[in-house]
Amino acid sequence: MADLATDVLVVGSGAGGAITAAALARAGRTVTVVEEGPWVPADAMEPFSLEEMVAKYRHRGPAGALGNPAIAYVEGRCVGGSTEINSGLYHRLPEYLAAEWRSTYAIEEFSPEALGGYADRVEAELSVAPLPGAPPPSSAALERGATKLGWRNVDFARVFSYDAQGRGTKQTMSRTMIPRAVASGATVIPECRVVRLLRRGDRIVGARCRRTHPGGGVERLTIKAEHVFVCGGAIHSPALLQRSGIWRNIGNGLKMHPTIKIAARFPHPVDHGDVPTHRITEFSPFVAIGGSISRKGDVALALADTGAPFADALADWENISVYYAAIRSDGSGRVAALRGVRSPLVTYSLSEGDMSRLARGLVHLGELLLAAGATELHPSVAGGTIVRRPEELGSWWDQVTRARATIMTVHLTSSVRMGENRARTGADSFGRVWGYSNLRVNDASLIPDAPGVNPQAAIMALATRNCDHFLAGS
Amino acid sequence: MTDSPTEVPSGPAAATVVVTGASGWLGQNLVRALAGRERIRCLVPSDDQASPLALIAPAIEVVVGDVRDPATVDRLFEGVGAEAAVFHAAAVIHPTRSTREFFDVNVGGTQNVLDRARRSGAGRFVHVSSNSPFGVNASPDEVFTEDSPYDPYLGYGRSKYEAEQLVQQADDRGDLPTVTVRAPWFYGPYQPARQSQFFRTIRRGRFPLIGDGTQRRSMAYTDNLVQGLLRAEVADKAPGNAYWVADARPYELREILATVRQALEAEGLPTSGPERLSLPRAAARLAERLDTLAQSRGRYVQPLHVLGELNHTIACDISRARAELGYEPTVELEEGMRASIRWCLDHGDQL
Repeated sequence: MADLATDVLVVGSGAGGAITAAALARAGRTVTVVEEGPWVPADAMEPFSLEEMVAKYRHRGPAGALGNPAIAYVEGRCVGGSTEINSGLYHRLPEYLAAEWRSTYAIEEFSPEALGGYADRVEAELSVAPLPGAPPPSSAALERGATKLGWRNVDFARVFSYDAQGRGTKQTMSRTMIPRAVASGATVIPECRVVRLLRRGDRIVGARCRRTHPGGGVERLTIKAEHVFVCGGAIHSPALLQRSGIWRNIGNGLKMHPTIKIAARFPHPVDHGDVPTHRITEFSPFVAIGGSISRKGDVALALADTGAPFADALADWENISVYYAAIRSDGSGRVAALRGVRSPLVTYSLSEGDMSRLARGLVHLGELLLAAGATELHPSVAGGTIVRRPEELGSWWDQVTRARATIMTVHLTSSVRMGENRARTGADSFGRVWGYSNLRVNDASLIPDAPGVNPQAAIMALATRNCDHFLAGS
Repeated sequence: MTDSPTEVPSGPAAATVVVTGASGWLGQNLVRALAGRERIRCLVPSDDQASPLALIAPAIEVVVGDVRDPATVDRLFEGVGAEAAVFHAAAVIHPTRSTREFFDVNVGGTQNVLDRARRSGAGRFVHVSSNSPFGVNASPDEVFTEDSPYDPYLGYGRSKYEAEQLVQQADDRGDLPTVTVRAPWFYGPYQPARQSQFFRTIRRGRFPLIGDGTQRRSMAYTDNLVQGLLRAEVADKAPGNAYWVADARPYELREILATVRQALEAEGLPTSGPERLSLPRAAARLAERLDTLAQSRGRYVQPLHVLGELNHTIACDISRARAELGYEPTVELEEGMRASIRWCLDHGDQL
């Protein structure tokens, strides 16, 4: 058994963990980051490829949340976390939501001005930029359809930097904050899973870990720490706390953006290497519409959902792109660590209103794609009508049921909500876990409800804020 | 107080109107009030409801279809032209399959109609809402005003709340002036079968009175409500706002029951049984809990829902509609109930 000691232990290296590690290392603290997944060199794999999925995704692909219907979700499991695999879209937290949460959960220092200030700092640190030049066909289709219908749409900025030729590189944590943390003296230990935190009274004194060596050997490692920041994301942060015996308001209230899809066939080729940057905001915050990654495998999976033969469409895959409608859900879920089982049990319950919003989102998305010139729409609904004309869209309302719809999600949040309202939160306004003096959560788990937009900007701003608060108080 | 609704600044009524839910209880009253317009485009859900409606006035054009279906709502607005007034009265109050219908129709349908109204250049969109986005009053002497906070009551309340938000957002866009009219429990002619059942149970003394019956309810006689909708169409101050529209004052539940029995007697229908069938509040609380549980599983049981709600005060203040719409209710409870009863008798209903 090996032993290490550090001032600050950061568990996880995604949007929350990497920001935390860099902020605290720069402030002169001794920081050790442990990451369960591998450290994959930044340019080793083509973005959104199957190879990348196997290397960087937890479970090498989608995992399922149990419930009726089951919801598939994906998470990054590598140095950089989900920032390595997401679309990089950057959207500040809508101000009215911040105001609503501030009052519901009694969150201190959560005014639009305060959050805006932290967002400014994140944007100065990372490159946040719109796509230069004309949008590619998959994104232009969203804009064209929206313009025709008079629906509001936005070409979102991303955490990307673009060279003079307009070639973009996603500014993932492994390209940005992780190297910056290391440059300031932080140590990053990949392939190191924290089994449990070690408690003594109201303090965490360290973490018991299992570290896998490149050759395959596994060693037990105990890391002593003065302060612990758990940044494993909305599934694995609460699961680690629970494995460590901390359960009060931990793991319940999980939120997500349930998503339903359409594979749309156009009479012309569409691009397949990147994610469309246009989003339809007309129906926000209830329904958001956008485009998904549409490599050949993604197109095949999307075409298969109706259960109808799709060989003809697949042969034409270069003309097909996959789009989604995501909803703000008033259902919720929970994460529960099970003794002796490596992965926690994740359940999520969609309300009747959620099922209706998914159907509505699908119908809106169908209208948009037909207006954009799509000739054939394959919904992610078993037995769903393959729509070619607007008069056929209405049939989807009764086809989107728990039994037939294929629902997936990204954007898991809210499993350790923050705020001073102790009946509803697992951590205080700055992420300190109730009942512990030196244990903090600093990731998507703290966001008290689904933000209706890509949450990475909110996670980064919150993490920056909470680090400031920690540094000011210790 | 004034009887003259023209005292508030108002524009002209639209020559062309579009009415959803036109064959419903409120819709049939509304369409009759609109009969003089040049063009009345109506949406009804099924063929059998189309022909009775078309007989009301020659200017009526009926479109049959599902308000959730974008192509149906396209047909509803086809050729309507700009500056039409849209009255959106289509909604599900008592779903027959699951509580999902609340959201499909009340939210999804509202979004479709708003979207087409905007694209057709409608001059005003009048949305029929409810007390349900506001839940129940905290105490028997409280009344809702336009400043009361939202507190949606179960599935119907949540769906109408979401619909109100869509309507407000459409107005915020700046290219479709909208007005929301919040109607409480209404009564009047063209009522559905469940309302005849209401009269029958009261006549036989079987309608439950929860507790002492001093909880209050605002009610809206359909003619009063129609007047409110028509005022919302023209009043200058209305766009972007929501208004409570009801009878002049809330009634105590025991007064409602006694008045209905008087009205039945006055229309030659002797009443029987006890003046009131008292039920303890605990029974209503139990019904409310069971209703909540059923709805959480997507099920809707109408008797539970009605019984659960009877325990509460749901009362509103119509001052703002009076001041800004020039609304002035003209019919009171007994007169309105007598008219309803007469309508039932005229249509062969056994009360």
